[in-house]
Amino acid sequence: MADPHAAAQHAPEGEHASVKTYVNVAIALALITAMEVATLYIPGIPNALLVSSLLVMSAIKFFLVVGFFMHLRYDHPILRALFVGPLIIAILIILAVMALFSAFVLLPRVVL
Amino acid sequence: MADHAVAHAVHDPNIGNTGLDNRKMGMWAFLGSDCMFFGSLIGTYLAYKGKSISGPLPHQVFDIPLTSYSAALLLASSLTMVLALAALQRNRVKVAARWLFVTALMGAHFVLNQVYEFTTFVLHDGLTLSTSLFGSTFFVLTGFHGAHVTGGVIWLLILVGLAMRGQLDARDYTKVEIAGLYWHFVDIVWIAIFTIIYLIP
Repeated sequence: MADPHAAAQHAPEGEHASVKTYVNVAIALALITAMEVATLYIPGIPNALLVSSLLVMSAIKFFLVVGFFMHLRYDHPILRALFVGPLIIAILIILAVMALFSAFVLLPRVVL
Repeated sequence: MADHAVAHAVHDPNIGNTGLDNRKMGMWAFLGSDCMFFGSLIGTYLAYKGKSISGPLPHQVFDIPLTSYSAALLLASSLTMVLALAALQRNRVKVAARWLFVTALMGAHFVLNQVYEFTTFVLHDGLTLSTSLFGSTFFVLTGFHGAHVTGGVIWLLILVGLAMRGQLDARDYTKVEIAGLYWHFVDIVWIAIFTIIYLIP
C-alpha cells in the first residue's frame, strides 16, 4: 500500500477539478441531454432550428466532458494539441465527405 | 518548472523530455487518431443518409427512449469514472475500486442495450448489415462504438481485479487516469452519435 507522500509524488501534473465540480458538470450534462430529447417533441419547430440547436447542445456536452472529466482544461498544451488537432481534421473529414456527396443537412440541394 | 520536469525524468522512466508521462501522451495521440476514425464513419453515414432505396428507414426503427437511457448511462458512467480517480488520488483504493466496478457495470448495461437494439433491428425490423446503405453505415458505426465500450469494460474490470488483489494504489494513478481518458472518449463519441444519428431527423 502506498504512503500518502508517495501518492502526492505521483499525483497528476496539472490541477484537477473538485468532486463538487464533477457532480455539477454531470448535472449539466443530464439537463442538456433532457433538453435535446425534449427539443425533438416541440411541435412545428423548423428543421434548421432543430438541427442547429441539437448540434450546439451536443457540442457543449462534448466540451464539458473533454474539459472537465478528461481534464484537458487543466492539462499541458501539448496534450491539448494532440487531441484538438486531429479533432479538427476529423470535422474536416466529415464536411469533406458530405460535400463530396452533396449531403449537407441544412442546405437545400440545387438541381440544375 | 523545468527543474521539476527534469527531476521527474530522473526518477520515473515514464516521464519523457517534455516532462509529461509518455503513457498519457500515447493515449492522447491514440484518441486523436480514433477521432479521425470515427469522423470517417460519421461522415460516411451522413453522406449516405436518405439515399437508401429500400427500408426500413431510421425513423421506423429507432427507439429514442431506449437510446436516451443508454446515453444517460454512459454520461453517468463518466461521472463514476472521475469519482474513482478522485478516490484513488486520496489513496482510498476500496472506494476507487467500487466506483470503477460501477462504471464497468454501467458500460456493460450500455452494451446489453445495444445488443437488444441490434437484435430487434435484425429479427423484428429486417434491417441487417447488407439490407441497405442505412443498415451498412449504421451497424458499422455503432458496432465499432460498441466494440470500444466492450474493450473499456474489460479494461475497467482488470483494474478492479488488480485493486482487489492489492496491486493497485495511489502510485498507479496514471494507469487509472489513462483508462479514464479512454472511457470518457467512448462517452464523447456517443454524444456525437446520439445527436447526429438518432436525434437529427
